[in-house]
Amino acid sequence: MSIIDLQNITHVYQSGGEKTVAVNDVSLTLAEGTSNALIGPSGCGKTTLLNIISGLLTPTEGKVLIDGKDVTELPPQGRDIAQVFQFPVVYDSMDVYGNLAFPLRNRGAPEEEIDERVQVTAELLGLEDRLHVNPANFGPEWSQLVSLGRGIIRHDTTALLFDEPMTDVDPGRKLTLRRRISQAQKRLEVTSLYVTHDQHEALTFAEKAAVMKDGEIVQYGSPEELYERPVSTFVGNFIGSPGMNFIDCEFAGEDLKIGKFTIPINESMRDNLDSSWTGLELGVRPNLVNVYDEPEGGGEIPAKVTLTEHLGSYQIITLEMEDIGTVVKAELPLEEKTDVGSEKFIGLTPENIMLFHNGEAIENGKK
Amino acid sequence: MKNRAWWFLLPALAVMSLSAFIPLMTVINYAQYSVFPGSAPQFIGMENFADVLNDGVFLNSLRRQVLFSIEILLIEIPLGLGLALALPKKGKWVGWSLVLLGVPLLIPWNVVGIIWRVFTRSDLGAVPAIFNWIGYGAYNASLNSGDAWWTVVAMDVWHWTPLVVLLCYAGLQAIPEEFYRAAKIDGASAWSTFRYVTLPKLRHSLILAVLLRFMDSFKIYAEPFQLTGGGPGNSTTFLSIYTSRKAIGGFNMGFGAAVSIIYFFLVILISWLLYTIMMNVGGGSSQ
Ligand SMILES: Nc1ncnc2c1ncn2[C@@H]1O[C@H](COP(=O)(O)OP(=O)(O)O)[C@@H](O)[C@H]1O
Ligand SMILES: [Mg+2]
Repeated sequence: MSIIDLQNITHVYQSGGEKTVAVNDVSLTLAEGTSNALIGPSGCGKTTLLNIISGLLTPTEGKVLIDGKDVTELPPQGRDIAQVFQFPVVYDSMDVYGNLAFPLRNRGAPEEEIDERVQVTAELLGLEDRLHVNPANFGPEWSQLVSLGRGIIRHDTTALLFDEPMTDVDPGRKLTLRRRISQAQKRLEVTSLYVTHDQHEALTFAEKAAVMKDGEIVQYGSPEELYERPVSTFVGNFIGSPGMNFIDCEFAGEDLKIGKFTIPINESMRDNLDSSWTGLELGVRPNLVNVYDEPEGGGEIPAKVTLTEHLGSYQIITLEMEDIGTVVKAELPLEEKTDVGSEKFIGLTPENIMLFHNGEAIENGKK
Repeated sequence: MKNRAWWFLLPALAVMSLSAFIPLMTVINYAQYSVFPGSAPQFIGMENFADVLNDGVFLNSLRRQVLFSIEILLIEIPLGLGLALALPKKGKWVGWSLVLLGVPLLIPWNVVGIIWRVFTRSDLGAVPAIFNWIGYGAYNASLNSGDAWWTVVAMDVWHWTPLVVLLCYAGLQAIPEEFYRAAKIDGASAWSTFRYVTLPKLRHSLILAVLLRFMDSFKIYAEPFQLTGGGPGNSTTFLSIYTSRKAIGGFNMGFGAAVSIIYFFLVILISWLLYTIMMNVGGGSSQ
């Protein structure tokens, strides 16, 4: 239960003559006892950042603070951080009991205490029945639980780090493992950081998520914030499935113009815009796209349905706006009739849209 | 046999039976006869085997052989493992160190003999000179049985430890980096990491190394033969030297055949024992 504070972390890998900036000037504070996610595409520097927090790597620049104490130069042993790796690690030279006891034995804890901690931890993770089994033949989901157990067996674990722990786990078992992890995290109230490139996984696990791109953290906020107020087209597109729709537009002094169509905007938004700008984009979440069968008389854009996908309790339809040459995805209730080839009308209302200039969000009331 | 593929195996099977099966059967057959060149073989049943087991020189050679193999394993396995651990894991020195280590393995057995005979010559060899210098006294492999013994051991260690190094090194390289990361996170000391991660992961490489070194050292021939011909006295007369002396030098083919068969089964039996013990040692337990 600790505050993890990263200050201007930069990490450069040097192999041969080649330099890779894996993490670029990252600052991030994880509040005590919170569960956090780190999301971003492959190769954006997530693992590197995690290894810097746990002490497996020393950053090229910047500081790592745990509860205000500078631990940048401290090895992992001195940090008491638990880390679950992408590829499960169990020691097949010991049974599950031995695996769980390993970190405590390494510190020379008395056997009595070890036994008690092993029982408590095994119970928390549902490993009680397997204590005296060799984990060599465990599937990835059980192996990950054992390695999580080794992490949380110390009662003073400062933080829990997960590096894409579901990578090797069968889709069918992911839910159980995720629930167990989540349960353990909540029970222990330990500060945690869960790395994934799967936003669904991230947003169900975490109170707050950081979105990473090319070594930088582009946004850190609650799932709602990331969904409703992405700071850039990258976040808008990355969060949500399908991601936000983007349509090129122009500011015509009063309203927005998409081709020959006029989209009204709020007064407050108008103040932030400049009619000389190029690279202006309108963003709208699929669930906020209004789709009508008939024109409503408010400047709706005609579009043709080119694809419908039924996803359980709702459907995603793809609409092509032929006049502008842009495709938009909309989320609709299943009852809605959406035959492929049918003509629809798209309504974009001021309260449902966001504007982006050169990829950056223009915030309402702020320049 | 519908499968025509079997026909393609025929040539290989024919060669195999000619080169291994037939000679083996011949030896088993010989072992039950009294065979001397120039006279007709006479069937004597198990008598040859009884003679072998009652021969004091055989028993001494066997004892010597076992002792030698134990010494070789006790020296070469830890030394090879230690060297493999000390080798660089990556970088430009990897290639060089592997090549350097591999050199003894590339030298033919008769050249090894010549090199060591020159090394150990009492008049101009480096070994006697060094022993003299450290104050050991006069080293002489052809007079002093202790000197001869340890010289053969040294020859084998020099020649074959690199094989153990290469096997262990390959095994080490195959251990995923993640295990070492996890061990660090779990606060393991260098010794704990070695004991609970490295050593168990090297088990198969080590078993292979032990079996190869056992089988080979148990059949050692060229080194003592070239150094002193099995002497001084019988002090470096190992089983293989004893066997060839009996079968070829002594013209007693039946007796030699019986020795060969006993020898053969000893190698198999001890290899199996070593394998079984090592497969069962250090399995997962909580204590
Ligand atoms: N040991 C290394 N040596 C050189 N480059 C590396 C090393 N590890 C990672 N990288 C590079 O650093 C970048 C970030 O990698 P990583 O942190 O593993 O990303 P992620 O976990 O988000 O997929 C990638 O471009 C990767 O190729
Ligand atoms: Mg990664």
